[in-house]
Amino acid sequence: MEPKEQSKEKKEKLWFWNWLIASVIFRLVLIYFPKNLNLASRPEVSTPLTSLRRLAEGYWLKQLSVSPYAGSMYHGSPLLLSLLGPLTVKRIEGQPDHLLCSLVFVIADIVNAMLIRATGQNLQMEYIRSLKLLDHVKLLEKPEIIPSGDIAALVYLWNPFTIVACVGLSTSPIENLAIILSLYGACKRQAPLAAFGWVIATHLSLYPAILIIPMILLLGYGPDTPPRKLFLQRRNVEVGDNPPNDRCCEREEVVHRPEVPHIFSWRPVIHFLCWTSLWSVYVLVLCGISVKRYGGLWELFKRTYGFMLTVQDLSPNIGVLWYFFAEVFDFFRNFFLIVFHGNILFMMLPLAIRLKHRPCFLAFVYIAISSMLKSYPSVGDSALYLGLLGLFVNELADMQFSFFLFCGYVGVSLLSPVMHNLWIWRGTGNANFYFATAMAYACLQIILVVESVSAMLNHDRMLRKPLTELQDGKS
Amino acid sequence: MRFKMYGSFRCRMVLLLLFLLLDCNFSNCLADTSSEATTHTNNWAVLVCTSRFWFNYRHMANTLSLYRTVKRLGIPDERIILMLADDMACNARNKYPAQVFNNENHKLNLYGDNVEVDYRGYEVTVENFFRVLTGRHENAVPRSKRLLSDEGSHILLYMTGHGGDEFLKFQDSEELQSHDLADAVKQMKEKRRFKELLIMVDTCQAATLFSQLQSPGVLAIGSSMKGENSYSHHLDSDVGVSVVDRFTFYTLGFFERLNMYNNDSLISLFSSYNPSMLMSTAYYRTDLYQRHLEEVPVTNFFGSVMEMIHTDSAYSLLSRKESFRVEIKMSADKSVPDKKRLMDNPSDLDQISELNIEDQHGALKRIWSTIQKEMEKVEDVDAFVSYGLVLIVPLLAVSMWLTW
Repeated sequence: MEPKEQSKEKKEKLWFWNWLIASVIFRLVLIYFPKNLNLASRPEVSTPLTSLRRLAEGYWLKQLSVSPYAGSMYHGSPLLLSLLGPLTVKRIEGQPDHLLCSLVFVIADIVNAMLIRATGQNLQMEYIRSLKLLDHVKLLEKPEIIPSGDIAALVYLWNPFTIVACVGLSTSPIENLAIILSLYGACKRQAPLAAFGWVIATHLSLYPAILIIPMILLLGYGPDTPPRKLFLQRRNVEVGDNPPNDRCCEREEVVHRPEVPHIFSWRPVIHFLCWTSLWSVYVLVLCGISVKRYGGLWELFKRTYGFMLTVQDLSPNIGVLWYFFAEVFDFFRNFFLIVFHGNILFMMLPLAIRLKHRPCFLAFVYIAISSMLKSYPSVGDSALYLGLLGLFVNELADMQFSFFLFCGYVGVSLLSPVMHNLWIWRGTGNANFYFATAMAYACLQIILVVESVSAMLNHDRMLRKPLTELQDGKS
Repeated sequence: MRFKMYGSFRCRMVLLLLFLLLDCNFSNCLADTSSEATTHTNNWAVLVCTSRFWFNYRHMANTLSLYRTVKRLGIPDERIILMLADDMACNARNKYPAQVFNNENHKLNLYGDNVEVDYRGYEVTVENFFRVLTGRHENAVPRSKRLLSDEGSHILLYMTGHGGDEFLKFQDSEELQSHDLADAVKQMKEKRRFKELLIMVDTCQAATLFSQLQSPGVLAIGSSMKGENSYSHHLDSDVGVSVVDRFTFYTLGFFERLNMYNNDSLISLFSSYNPSMLMSTAYYRTDLYQRHLEEVPVTNFFGSVMEMIHTDSAYSLLSRKESFRVEIKMSADKSVPDKKRLMDNPSDLDQISELNIEDQHGALKRIWSTIQKEMEKVEDVDAFVSYGLVLIVPLLAVSMWLTW
C-alpha cells in the first residue's frame, strides 16, 4: 500500500513539473521559430510602457549621453533600463534577436509560476484549517479539494496571453513578478519581501499602488478565511450546545479551542510600512542618481507617471481609453482623466469593506479592475489576473457564465488581431472595428469581475448555511 | 488776448515737438539696443535674376555663380531662395545642353548637379519677389519658397539684370522701382525679418535702386552709379553670348580664394573693386549700417559659419546649481589659434543656494539635501546603479532572515 501511495504522490508531483517543463519548451520553440507571428509589433502585446523595442531605444539614447526619455519613446523605469538595456544590445551569431531578453522573460515566468504555486499552497492550507475550525464536515469530506496552487501556476504558464506576452518581448512578466512577489511575501507574513515587491511593482507601473490595501489586510488578518461572523456563530453554537451545568468546564473548552483568527495584528503592518519607506528611499536614490544628468527625479516622474496618468500616447491598444481621448476636447481632457482614473479608486473602498476577510481575492479583483481601466493595458496584465483566478478554483467552482467568458476570451483574442489587420494593413476597416473588440474585451472583464465576486460571496453564504441550520435546529 | 492764445499755442506746439523728438530718440535707442541685443542666428540668401531670353545668358550665369559661391561657403539650400528665368541651360540655342558657364574656359559647369531653383520661369515676378521679401504668401505656398528668416538673420539680397535710374526691369514685362524696394525693406524691418541686410545689385545705374532705403541695418553695394552702365566681362565665342558681368566676375574672383573660415572683412571686398577694370564705379552705401565694415567678415553674409563648442562631458540640459568646469575649444582653423577657456559658474550662485539650504528648517529637508549632495558627487553613474541593483538581492535576503 505504502509504496503505491508514495508512487502516486510522486506521480502527482511529477505531473506539475512535467507540465512546467513542457511550457518552457513551448516558449523556447516559439522564440526560435516565430514564423511571421510578429508578436512584438502587435498592439495587444506591446504598449508604450511594455515594449522592449522602446527600451532598446531608450538604452541607445542613454549610451549617446542623451536622456533616455527624450523623444517620447521610453517611459519606463531607469532601473529596468540598466537591467535589460545591456541585454538588448548583445547579439549572438545565429540566434534570434533579443534572445537574452527572451530568456530573462521565460525565467521570470517560471519564477511567477513557482510563486503562484507557493501562494496557492499557503492559501489552501489556510482554507483547510479554517474549515476544520468551523467543523465543516461536508466540505472537508469532499473528495477533491483541488490543489489550487498547482492549477493556478499551470493556468498562468499555459495561458496563451502569458505565452504571447513572454515571447512577444514585453516587459509585463517582470511587472507581474513584482506583484506576485509582494502577494507571496504578504501571504507568508514576510514584511520586507512584501514591501520590496510592492515598491518595485509601483515603481514599474503605477497602478499596483492600489494593492497596498490588500497587502495591509493580508499582513494584518492573514490569508483568505471565511468571514468572521461564521467563527463567532460557530463559537456561539458550541457554547449553546453545552448544557448550563457544565459551565465550569465551559471556559476550559472555550480556551482549548484555538483562537478566532480574526484579530487585526498591527505589528506586521507597521513592519511592512517601515520596510516600504526604506525600500522606496533606496529605489528613489538609485533612480535619482541614474537620471541626475537628465533633469532629476521630477523629470523622471513627469515622463513615467505623468505619461501614464495623462495618456499622452493614443496609439490603439486593447483598452478603451485611446479611442475616447482621441476625440475628447482639450477643455474636458483633464476632467475625463480624473474620471477614468477615479473609476479605479472609487471601487477600492467598497470592495475592501466587503471582502476584507479575503485579502488575496481582493488583490485579484483590484488587479482585474486596474488592468481593465489602466491607460495602456495589454494581454500581459490579463495573464496575471487569469493566473490568480486559478488560486480560487475551489471557492469559485459555481461561477456563472464561466463557459461564456471562456468563449468570449477566445473570440476576442482571435478577432482582435483580425480587426487590427483590417484597419491598419488592408484599409478595409476603420478604428471602430478594432475598438469594438476592445469594448467586448472590457465587457468580458467586467462580467468576470462581477461574477467572480458574487460567486465568492455565494460561497461564503454557503459556508454559513450549515451553521445556521445547526442554530435553527437547536432553537 | 490773441497774442496770449497764440503764445500758449506756440508753447504747446513746442512741447509737442519736444515730446515727439524724445519719442523718436527713445524708439531709436530701443531699435538700436534691440538690434544689438538679438544674436545672429542664421544667414539667408535671396538671389534674383530678373532677365530672360538667350542674350541675357550672363545674368543667369551671374546668379548661378553667386549661388554656387554662397553654397560653397556654407549656406544650405533651405536658406537660399533662387529666382531664375531658367531658360538658358536647356535652351535650343545652347550648344552645351544642360550646362551653364561663367567663363570661356568652360572649367566650371554652374548648372551641374545640386542646383535648387525656387522660382523659375514665369514665377519670377515683382509680386512674388515682394511676397518673398515681406513674407506675405498664399496659404498653399510651400516652405521652400518662403523666406523664413527671423530677427537674428543676416540676409544677402543679390539682384542682376537690366536696370536704370531708380528701376530694375523684371522679365522684360515689369519693373521694380526703388521706392517699392525701400518699402519692402521697411516692412521687413518692421516685421523683424532680418538683423542685417546686404543688397548687392549688378545692373546699369545700380546705385539708384537703393537710393530710397531708410531702414537701419541695411548695407548696399551697386555695380555702377547713376548715369553709368555696367558692362559684361567677356564674350564666349563658343556659346555665342557674353557669359559674365564684370562686377560679378571680380566678386567671384575675390571669393574663389576664400574658404569658410577666412576672416576677410567686407571692406576688403568693397575695396577690391577697381573702377578701371569694372569700367564703372562700384558704389556702396553704409549710412544705414551701424557696424564698421572692417569688423564684419564676408562670411557674415556670403557664408554660414556656425561657432562650434566642443565639450568632453555629456551635454546636460538643466544644470543650474552645478558648478562644472568645461573646456571650450574654438572651431579649429590654422589662422585662428586654439583658445582654451575654463568656464566656472559664478560663485555667488553657490552662496545663494547655501543660504537657501540653511534657511530651510526641518531635519528631513536637510537629510534630503545631504543625500542630493552625495548623489551629485557620484561620477560613474552606470556602475553605481548596477552595483545598487545587484545589492538588492543580498539586502533582501538579509532582511528576510532578520524578520524570520
